[in-house]
Amino acid sequence: MRVKLLYHTDLGAIKSVLAREGVQFDPEAMMDHVNYMFEIEDCSRVTTHQLVRHRAVSYDQESQRFSAATKEGVVMPSSIKTNEAAYKAYDEALKMVYAAYEKMVAAGVPKEDARYILPSAIKTKLVMTLNARSLMHLVWQRTALQAQWEIRELATTLHLLAQEATPELWTKIIER
Amino acid sequence: MKVILVWTSPNPERTIAVAMRRCYSTKPIEEIEAELEQKGAEYWRYLLTKAMQDKSLDVLEHFTLTLLVEGAGEAEVSGLVRNFPYLRVTRLKEADWLVTMNARTLVELWRDSRGRSFAGMVVNELEGRAVCPIFSELAFGERVNAS
Repeated sequence: MRVKLLYHTDLGAIKSVLAREGVQFDPEAMMDHVNYMFEIEDCSRVTTHQLVRHRAVSYDQESQRFSAATKEGVVMPSSIKTNEAAYKAYDEALKMVYAAYEKMVAAGVPKEDARYILPSAIKTKLVMTLNARSLMHLVWQRTALQAQWEIRELATTLHLLAQEATPELWTKIIER
Repeated sequence: MKVILVWTSPNPERTIAVAMRRCYSTKPIEEIEAELEQKGAEYWRYLLTKAMQDKSLDVLEHFTLTLLVEGAGEAEVSGLVRNFPYLRVTRLKEADWLVTMNARTLVELWRDSRGRSFAGMVVNELEGRAVCPIFSELAFGERVNAS
């Protein structure tokens, strides 16, 4: 998985307005006014299905209607990778699924219909824009121990990048 | 009421184009960005025109802006927030407010009689600073005189 911060609101610009207005900087109040745009690459659709349940966030994701899928572009959980019998079953099933996908596309079935057979393990790419308040909620929920490993990895990375860009907003994670 | 631009996402039209290309490309982001740089503003115009024509306004949400609104009454601001829930508003002083929104919300404000007057001021401010001339022309081009 790869995550990149494409832009974030310049806290300096907001702070200079506050100074001009004679208002003290309050990180809690300013969380609504600081936005981040991220690129997320090569995480599974399992994880993006979990991700898009977070609301008041803008997503644009690589479409399977138009781009062809390949067997190489899948995520393999370590519980499967390290279990010989499971690995064999996973690998065989993927081969079968992708062979069927390719056969259907070759037979003239549109990609948007052939994709119905594709697994949730398939890797995807998306851009996501959200404000600090929404991101903090996401980080709080998805870095919890109950969250699944892949979205925990994603949420941890998002947190690190946001904290690095705007440290003053991330001195503590506020529970909501 | 006076509207002053505090901050806007860098290169907003290219940002919208990035979001559009993300939907249809399998390439890593750096390649998409390089392609958009190389093809230039006319290609961004083509993508933006397509988004507006197809009503794919979701891509506009990645263009975000923060404004200082001076001299606005509480009733006026409450009305806007009630009708446009994606506006983010913080009161700074008696009649001064910090307002953050994305370009989709701006288009929705513009197209709705309850938001048109405020949207007009925001558009004037964006145009005055030449922030997004292509987007402005495509989204608000039918405007004769909003001021």
